[in-house]
Amino acid sequence: MIEAVLIFLGLALLFGILLGYASVRFKVEGNPMADQIDKVLPQTQCGQCGYPGCRPYAEALANGEAEVNLCIPGGNEVMIEISEITGLEQKPMAEGAAEPKPKEVAFIDEDLCIGCVLCIKECPVDAILGATKQMHTVIEKECTGCEKCVPVCPVDCIEMRPVEVTTKNWKWPEPQTIQEGK
Amino acid sequence: MNPSNLLSVALRFLAKLYPASKRWLHRFHGGVFPQYYKSLSATQPIRKAFIPEKLILPLEQPVGLPAETLVKVGERVKKNQLLAQASKDPQKALIVPVHAPTSGTVMAIQPMTLPHPSGLQDQCIVLQPDGLDEAIVNALEVDGSHPGSPEALKSTLLHAGIVGMGGAGFPTYAKIPNQRGKIHTLLINGAECEPFITCDDLLMQTRAQEIVQGALITAHALGASKIICGIETNKPEAIRAMQEAASNTPVEIRSVETVYPMGGQKQLTLELTGVEMPHKAHAVDLGLLMMNVATYAAIYRAVVHGEPLTSRLVTVSGLGLNKPFNIHALIGTPFSALAELAEPKVTLDYPLVMGGPMMGFQVQNNDVPVIKTTNCILANPPEPVAMQMPCIRCGECMQACPVNLLPQQMYWHTQAHEYDKVEKLNVFDCIECGCCSYVCPSHIPLVQYYRHAKSEIKAMHAEEKATELAKQRHEFKLARIEREKREREARLKAKKEAVKKEALAEESPSAKKPEATAKSAAEAARAAAAKRAAAQKQSQKSDDSNNPPIPPARLKAIEAAKKAAAQKAQQKNEESSASSKVNREPPKSEQDEKKPDAKSAAKAAAMKAAQKRTQAKKQASTESASEVTSAKKDARQRAIEAAKKRAAAKKAELQPMAEMETEQACSDSAFPQQADVKDNTTAATELTETTTSTPASEKETARRAAIKAAKEAVAKRKAASPSKTEQTENTATPKPDEDKRKKAIEAARNRAAQKRNAANESQQGDK
Repeated sequence: MIEAVLIFLGLALLFGILLGYASVRFKVEGNPMADQIDKVLPQTQCGQCGYPGCRPYAEALANGEAEVNLCIPGGNEVMIEISEITGLEQKPMAEGAAEPKPKEVAFIDEDLCIGCVLCIKECPVDAILGATKQMHTVIEKECTGCEKCVPVCPVDCIEMRPVEVTTKNWKWPEPQTIQEGK
Repeated sequence: MNPSNLLSVALRFLAKLYPASKRWLHRFHGGVFPQYYKSLSATQPIRKAFIPEKLILPLEQPVGLPAETLVKVGERVKKNQLLAQASKDPQKALIVPVHAPTSGTVMAIQPMTLPHPSGLQDQCIVLQPDGLDEAIVNALEVDGSHPGSPEALKSTLLHAGIVGMGGAGFPTYAKIPNQRGKIHTLLINGAECEPFITCDDLLMQTRAQEIVQGALITAHALGASKIICGIETNKPEAIRAMQEAASNTPVEIRSVETVYPMGGQKQLTLELTGVEMPHKAHAVDLGLLMMNVATYAAIYRAVVHGEPLTSRLVTVSGLGLNKPFNIHALIGTPFSALAELAEPKVTLDYPLVMGGPMMGFQVQNNDVPVIKTTNCILANPPEPVAMQMPCIRCGECMQACPVNLLPQQMYWHTQAHEYDKVEKLNVFDCIECGCCSYVCPSHIPLVQYYRHAKSEIKAMHAEEKATELAKQRHEFKLARIEREKREREARLKAKKEAVKKEALAEESPSAKKPEATAKSAAEAARAAAAKRAAAQKQSQKSDDSNNPPIPPARLKAIEAAKKAAAQKAQQKNEESSASSKVNREPPKSEQDEKKPDAKSAAKAAAMKAAQKRTQAKKQASTESASEVTSAKKDARQRAIEAAKKRAAAKKAELQPMAEMETEQACSDSAFPQQADVKDNTTAATELTETTTSTPASEKETARRAAIKAAKEAVAKRKAASPSKTEQTENTATPKPDEDKRKKAIEAARNRAAQKRNAANESQQGDK
């Protein structure tokens, strides 16, 4: 009887130590769920969710402080993915946000630009190039299409333009759409 | 009769009962046996060259970036003249130069519809031939010798603008490896498995020698030991011609089974060498290099005759044409012009097809030009499209797939938009041969689905990349903002500390001035950024330099200056404190101003300003106390004016200093300072004189003295911490008794508070 008690006590101690060690040794920094969600988000850093960027929204989601349907550029797909990761109930997107928009990039009318650098400050990914009183321009490749620069422009010289289709980024249409078209 | 022949005969007999048994005759999986219609054009002789009314030369090839034009609209060009060239590194950007196919005038450089399934437009050079066909002979300036290294060959191929002419259009120079000996077997693709197309067949019949020579040149440059040519059995004439040309050369001509898609690179490689290309591997990595017969012929013409690639053999065929033919068409010839030559049965109101019926695509506009990869122009009248039925999972497509994929699974996933799953099923290994669609009993355009899936997956990956990039850039921006904020805070803190110290130090006895200054400087230096600290020290040192390092010759002047030196030091102190408070520029620029005479000039300017200030202050003092602010403004204006005058002296950095001094003086309502200033002016004059003559070497001694002074100050501080309060005492106060000291401390504190307020005000005012 006493042996059994000792054995179990010993085992309990051993496992306790093991668990204690493991919790220190394999400690996970931060919330891994936030990382997961951050990966799914479109990284436009547009702030349309009400958070200052994709990462803060992901963190808020991971902490259960935010709704799953706030990412407008991500649309339904991202909403579903978020709900899968967080285990929260799926929610329909806000009105007008459900249909995905073709990707657009900012375009600066260089004749109108006064070089106020407001848009440069606003751009979350540093995709606008320019200096004070110098003409600005958008690095199309880096632009995420977040539209943050549009409202800040004092002379309204920024507009969103759809990305030009070239032979390099042209997509073969889906066969069904061909048939429906005919 | 050998056993393999026996087997093939037996299988051919069996095929009548079980058609799929024909697939056992070749080494790759699957394949189909379509109706070939090759005799339509193969029986006709090659039509003589034809120069159309206009040539359209796209700047962009199917692979790589567009070239940059070298000609202008209206310019007359000769055949083989270089029209567009790579502006970037062609090796990386895969840019292929464009040459004039015939002589003529450049009519326009404008967007034209490309022979691309999208029907998109892109920049093209439009050439109007003059019919003279005036050529630049040996445009590539070659000496006809065979290049001995891959580099030499590659350079020729690049300048000749040769691309893979089998259909993919990958630039040949980019395909060839740099290291000699990497390729052990060179393969010649003469299979030409697509129905209707006969251009390679006729090329082999008519230019077998050129093809063999081209292969030999390539093998020589690359150090390849083996050359194998695969030709389908349905081209006996071509096989005979090639064998003739290849006799007495190491080129081995092999006939291969007639099965679609034998001409696929992977399929023919497997057939000829027994090597099955692994997933994602390039043939070059396996020591194999396969090129089309037309490419070899082009290589020969470029290396031996210096001719760039400006024409190619094109099959113009189809069931809608009365007289199908093959022709050496100039690159840029519109499809419609060639199709009209073949006498269409009905007017060509239906879209032509570029390529064969299996892999080709309908062009959106029949006027699109022949490009380097156009092997066939097909005019097949539209047939009623068989209605698409649901997939019955018969598995025929899987049987037919030459790459061993699962077409049915890929189809289902593509339909469901599960592109990640399609990718896992290796859709990128699909060669889009169309075998699956060909055998599908439900007439499902399977290849269309895979093409769609491929472009979707590509877009997906591009987006992922962009997302990752955006994330990185955003994080970088946040980090940068954070860093800037920290730096700003650090600067602000340092500034505040310096202000505090100055406020304390200002009232300290003149004898201890240098020590106090050094002390505050040391404090500030510790807190502030290294650059700033250095700048400040520099200014401090230059202040101190006026006192100790004086040569005997100047002693007299120094003696005279000594009396005022204390006040001067105080004044200077204010200057430096003010400058550090308000503007970081002055110390920096002071540092910049290394030359002593520049320094002295600055001092002279400062002196003038000081004089003006004194006047201003006098005026201010005569005015009532309530008008202090207006007086201040007045003084400042004068100071600004003075500063403007000083613009000639070009020591603009002293301006804020002067301004600051004025402000401070006014806010302190310091009457004694007026006297100070007067004294200062004289002192400054003398000092200026000294410094003017002070050579650069003395600066060093001055610095040393300053350091020494600073050390002394530190030592003193350590020795007697209460002496800190002593230092804050007024100049007038001598070393006092206990209660006197207390009073003085009280007074100093008040002053310090006042001073701080004033400083804050001025700072806010500046902001």
